[in-house]
Amino acid sequence: MSDSNQKTTHFGYKTVAEDDKVSLVANVFHSVAAKYDVMNDVMSFGIHRLWKRFTIDCSAVRPGQKVLDLAGGTGDLTALFSKRVGSSGKVVLADINASMLAVGRDKLRDQGLVDNIEYVQANAEALPFADNSFDIITIAFGLRNVTNKDAALASMFRVLKPGGRLLVLEFSKPQSELLTKAYDFYSFNLLPKMGQLVAGDAESYQYLAESIRMHPDQATLQQMMEQAGFAEVSYHNLTGGIVALHRGYKF
Amino acid sequence: MLQLAPQLLCGLAEKALAEVIAMDPAAAARLQRLAGRQLAFQLTEFDWRLVLTATSKSLLLNLHKEKVDCAIRADLTSLKQLRDPNQLTHLIKTDAVQIDGDIQVAHQFSSFFQQLQPDWQAKAALYLGDGLTHKLNRVLQQLSALITAKQQALQQMSLELAQDELQLTPHRLEIEQFSAEVSQLHARLERLQHQLKSWQE
Repeated sequence: MSDSNQKTTHFGYKTVAEDDKVSLVANVFHSVAAKYDVMNDVMSFGIHRLWKRFTIDCSAVRPGQKVLDLAGGTGDLTALFSKRVGSSGKVVLADINASMLAVGRDKLRDQGLVDNIEYVQANAEALPFADNSFDIITIAFGLRNVTNKDAALASMFRVLKPGGRLLVLEFSKPQSELLTKAYDFYSFNLLPKMGQLVAGDAESYQYLAESIRMHPDQATLQQMMEQAGFAEVSYHNLTGGIVALHRGYKF
Repeated sequence: MLQLAPQLLCGLAEKALAEVIAMDPAAAARLQRLAGRQLAFQLTEFDWRLVLTATSKSLLLNLHKEKVDCAIRADLTSLKQLRDPNQLTHLIKTDAVQIDGDIQVAHQFSSFFQQLQPDWQAKAALYLGDGLTHKLNRVLQQLSALITAKQQALQQMSLELAQDELQLTPHRLEIEQFSAEVSQLHARLERLQHQLKSWQE
């Protein structure tokens, strides 16, 4: 830490050493894993389910396809994909955090989804899969927690099959001034209190609000995807730009 | 929020469809044969294209315009006629219905829905009890019979009115002859006016 040449990155509004971010993010998710789904419903008033359905629609997934749900957490997207790819397809739920992966695995098993799902603990920056392995890759509310986003996008590009698509669902920049003010008030005043009340952890939700502000906006992320090699990159603003879905293809 | 309304409707419809399918004990076997197939349906009046994906357990709904096994595009007026298989060829020829892909898939989905017989009484009896469910069933049957009878009476009345109107309506040749006579009369009147004018001068 005392090395002045050590590379730094942001963890929320704090500046930390790159090597430390992974463990700091891991601590956040170890802390919230058990209450993650409840908090998602409370924080977004249930709208996150519609954002995820929109993502599935944009994926145009077909039976028999192979899907990677990266930073898949508690497996909401994996559940939707698993039903759609059927027994001839496969969904890989990958997350860097073992606690999130365990919660996701238990939830999906409780739903009877066992046939076509694999669980992999993996770092998005160095995916442990062969080149050209997946028809679809999704990363929902995960990219902003990755230390080196460019490396993660390059890794996703590598494991995506030619003709395949990447879908990035992530918090973004609201499109109206009024919405931005209301959203900021909600994020910094109400969200940590809700986190304290429901999950007993205000700090993690303070980090969530800060990390959203530090994440690249719509146009910047589009540019980053193009630089990683993705073609025909486009995005949809959802709920006034609070969330954006970016889509890019590998040709 | 309105942007996500289609996804909300789709999600609700998917859940409702799963409930209906679960009420038919014979549906599971038929669904097994359909599993892995995708059918898309779009009404020309709307921009959304509904995609049905059959799995071994249920039918899933999505909205997109990408590749599926069979895609049907029809307008609202042709929708009712689409239920009659004899009309299909005529509808395709007149471009009222466009089918892209394997038509067998459309037939398989269609026959699945036609054979679907949800035993809703069994489900309702869990909440209402056998007696009340039986009464409700009878009321619904009577209501259905009444609506069917009224519909038939309305159709019959429309048919009779159309036939009566047809008898009163002059034939095309009669209209042409009448028009010719009016033209002749108009020409004679003009000549007469012309003569009158010249006498006055």
